[in-house]
Amino acid sequence: MTTLYIDDKEVTVPANTSILEACRMHGVDVPYFCYHPELKVAANCRMCLVEVEGWPKPAASCCTPVAEDMRVRTQTETLKKDRKMVMEYLLIHHPLDCPVCDQGGDCKLQDYSVEHGASQGRYVEPKRRTEDKNLGPFITTCMTRCIHCTRCVRFAEEVAGTGDMGVLNRGDHMRIDSIVEDTLRSELAGNLAELCPVGALLDKPSNDVSRPWELERHHSTCIQCPHGCDVIIESRGDEVIRIKHDPEGAEAWICDRGRYVYDAFRSDDRLLVPAVRKQGELLACDWNEALTRARELLKDKKVGIIFSPSWSLEGLTSIRLLHDAVMNEAKVAFDLHRRDMRPFAFEEGLSMSTAEIEAADEVVILGSDLRQRLPILMQRLRRRVANGKALTRIGAMNYRTNTSPGKDALIRPRDWPAVIARAMEQLKDVGKGSPAMEAWLERVPARHEAGKLLADALMAERCAVLVGEEIRAHEDAAALIHGIDLLMRSAGHGEAGDDGRNLIPEGMNAQVLSAVFGDIRTGVGELLQAAEAGELDALMLVGSDPLGDGLFSMQARRVLRQVPLVQVGAIGGQIAEFADVQLPAAAYSEIEGTFVNMEGRVRIADKPLRSIGEERPLWKVMMRLTQELGADDVPAVSLDELRQKAAVFMPELADVFAGKKGAEWRMPTARNRNARCLPSGVEPAMALDIVSRFSMYREGAWARASGLLREAGQLFALPDVLVHPHTLRQLGLEEGECVIRTASGEITHHVGTREDVAEGVLFVAKRGGAGDLSTETSASLRGV
Amino acid sequence: MSMQVDTTQMEKVSFNAEQLEEIRELVARYPHPRSALLPVLHLAQQHFGYLPMNVQQLVADTLDVNLMQVREVVTFYTMFREQPTGKYLLEVCTNAGCMLNGACELLEHMCRTLGIRVGETTPDGLFTVTEVECAGACGGAPVVQVNNVYHEKVTAEHMDQLIADARAQEDGGVA
Ligand code: SF4
Ligand code: SF4
Ligand code: FES
Repeated sequence: MTTLYIDDKEVTVPANTSILEACRMHGVDVPYFCYHPELKVAANCRMCLVEVEGWPKPAASCCTPVAEDMRVRTQTETLKKDRKMVMEYLLIHHPLDCPVCDQGGDCKLQDYSVEHGASQGRYVEPKRRTEDKNLGPFITTCMTRCIHCTRCVRFAEEVAGTGDMGVLNRGDHMRIDSIVEDTLRSELAGNLAELCPVGALLDKPSNDVSRPWELERHHSTCIQCPHGCDVIIESRGDEVIRIKHDPEGAEAWICDRGRYVYDAFRSDDRLLVPAVRKQGELLACDWNEALTRARELLKDKKVGIIFSPSWSLEGLTSIRLLHDAVMNEAKVAFDLHRRDMRPFAFEEGLSMSTAEIEAADEVVILGSDLRQRLPILMQRLRRRVANGKALTRIGAMNYRTNTSPGKDALIRPRDWPAVIARAMEQLKDVGKGSPAMEAWLERVPARHEAGKLLADALMAERCAVLVGEEIRAHEDAAALIHGIDLLMRSAGHGEAGDDGRNLIPEGMNAQVLSAVFGDIRTGVGELLQAAEAGELDALMLVGSDPLGDGLFSMQARRVLRQVPLVQVGAIGGQIAEFADVQLPAAAYSEIEGTFVNMEGRVRIADKPLRSIGEERPLWKVMMRLTQELGADDVPAVSLDELRQKAAVFMPELADVFAGKKGAEWRMPTARNRNARCLPSGVEPAMALDIVSRFSMYREGAWARASGLLREAGQLFALPDVLVHPHTLRQLGLEEGECVIRTASGEITHHVGTREDVAEGVLFVAKRGGAGDLSTETSASLRGV
Repeated sequence: MSMQVDTTQMEKVSFNAEQLEEIRELVARYPHPRSALLPVLHLAQQHFGYLPMNVQQLVADTLDVNLMQVREVVTFYTMFREQPTGKYLLEVCTNAGCMLNGACELLEHMCRTLGIRVGETTPDGLFTVTEVECAGACGGAPVVQVNNVYHEKVTAEHMDQLIADARAQEDGGVA
């Protein structure tokens, strides 16, 4: 620690803190442009000047570390003059077009100009002209306003990892440029608009739409992936203008999926009024009529319910209450990506916070396309690699992560048992075997060298294992996860709150789902099978879209054609076509509610936007339906009551709602100590493994309803079916039309190639003709 | 003109074995490969004549930096050229010393004689005229650098002679 004096006040800060950071920590205002807490120091704007006693000239505080007994002054006459001069320089080429600039009212340059600048410039020479850039669908530019702070350049390099922005030329000709025509190749592009301290980089979709002072800000949680980032929804009246990163949130950035999904709030795909199908046509009606029709379809019937995990905790609890009150024969399922319904040794959710993962001695990603799935966590891991820390990736598709961790292995899903077995052997060799391991090993004859990377990483004191979708969706997932659990135990990672066991969930609220539905859930596959066999009279989809998402679209399509459907949700989407009744539920921007993210952090959204139609919070819809279906007593008539009921399933919640748990508290993930599944030893039927490829721009009903994300999805699209070129060559095939055969039939489809994917794997996007392929786990290829 | 490029559409180029050897030596002099960026760019410019985007990409790949970092350096230093030049690059210094000794008139004369503007290349691809900052030889102002050779106290006649000589040499095919 270092003690120094800022404006005569004694402060103590960690050694090597910069003066600027020391000032920020102690609430002393020092103006700055180029400094950004998440980026490396560039020290090029010179706005942050301070005086240090005994130094001949002012110092840039952002790049000057504190020293013992240093006496810093931030408010002197000299500094006033200096800052005025710096402002004059920065404004030399600035167009002063605040009245037509979207940054106006929310602009550092404007604020500092008023605070520190001169009221008049002396520069009369012609100003420079610059050309605007095309930076893709999300960022619009007005480069004459740029003050060359290089925040955007550092962002592209350090955060996005693409490094495709830079400073060209010098002196008066200096300008910011990007390398690739048409776009930034980043899923974090939207952050640039917030990052730029002036109006040079602006949010394209919301440009010229509103002024900052017209907007209301609502703290909310993004539900577009399990990360559940803290966001601020900005609205004018009922209209959502944009979604921004919440500066008080846990992470430093948000991704483009979470930011531009707001386009869906106002899309035609929103369910805003109740509707019933009459003579084949969906017609708007009032709530009573829709509920009556729903009752006819559901009351005393055998029903299957598939819901989306991303409702609020209260919404999810209300589904359970509906089930318990009037539908306790119903089959309930929610995970569209889980084939193996046996309990997992460690269930979904992270045992560590993302910051803890970033700081761990070793991090291993097992089978996850993390950049698409959890872009903000991937960003942290990228920073980890940049700081020289280890990262190991094993999986079928290690491409497009924008970082090269060095320890990489490409494997097929069918190799997982052999990978884990190889790691077990290595632990045995150093005397860390166990009888349970022997039983597991007995079932797996093969060994795969990639297991060495896993075993090596596990030797570290703190190792974060991130188990991804390639394992979670595996037919033998429970056995694989048991194997990983055994490995971790043997390597000394005993069970504890933050023991490194991190199973990446499909959506939000994983811990809640385990607690509330653990005893009644079934698999989506099983549920659909029962429906196909005629064992169900009706299906109720609550925000779930099994046609567009997950592994069961083929069965879902058949079932929807034959079974009556009650659709409850905020988005109609392609499910609407099959719905007999639609009950509109409020969007996550429109509700008061609680969300739990993958780390178990709890966020309560309490200042929602108003509904724009007749949609109601899910819990109200569910309670109304409970009543309609004949419950004598409605289980909960207020949010408070609902929260009490939720606490029956999760006792800790009582304290959370009473405000007794701090903001740092995280809900633990579920463990199943007795889940000792051994590998099945069953080999896939065909030569190639199918891996379903996730796209952050296309997956999820919300994303599909957002025109902005659709546009980006098209821009970044890869061929729908991808294999390694060697795989094609070995089969004597060429890139182009091929016949893809699976257990459920044959299709002819274009097959593209990429070198950075595992050989022997068929990567399929969840759309178009290839969309249903992910239902199967193996396939073969031949020429047309 | 926008400098944005489609990197996937670029024609691939490469260094030959000898150059790669030279680069290895250059890289060995510094703690990080990227520190050798300037000398390697000079080498590349000598070999390829100028530094189009695919050559910059080659340098980036060779030194394991990204293309943007190479471009930043290339555009910062005026001695690196992103556009092709004529066989004879005539660089006229127009800084104070040379200007006082008639560099601007000389420059104008050259342009008139060659029928091009500053920065342009003659249609036969022989001459490019550019204006540069101080060449560091003010004692001999005005200074014109022809490829790697300095010419001092250059007059219009002197310049005409230089151009004529170059032409003659080209016609004789002796170059
Ligand atoms: S565009 Fe904005 S962020 Fe980038 S250098 Fe200019 S002012 Fe800074
Ligand atoms: S990372 Fe996930 S939670 Fe965060 S903004 Fe993106 S989609 Fe939303
Ligand atoms: S903030 Fe210190 S120089 Fe820009």
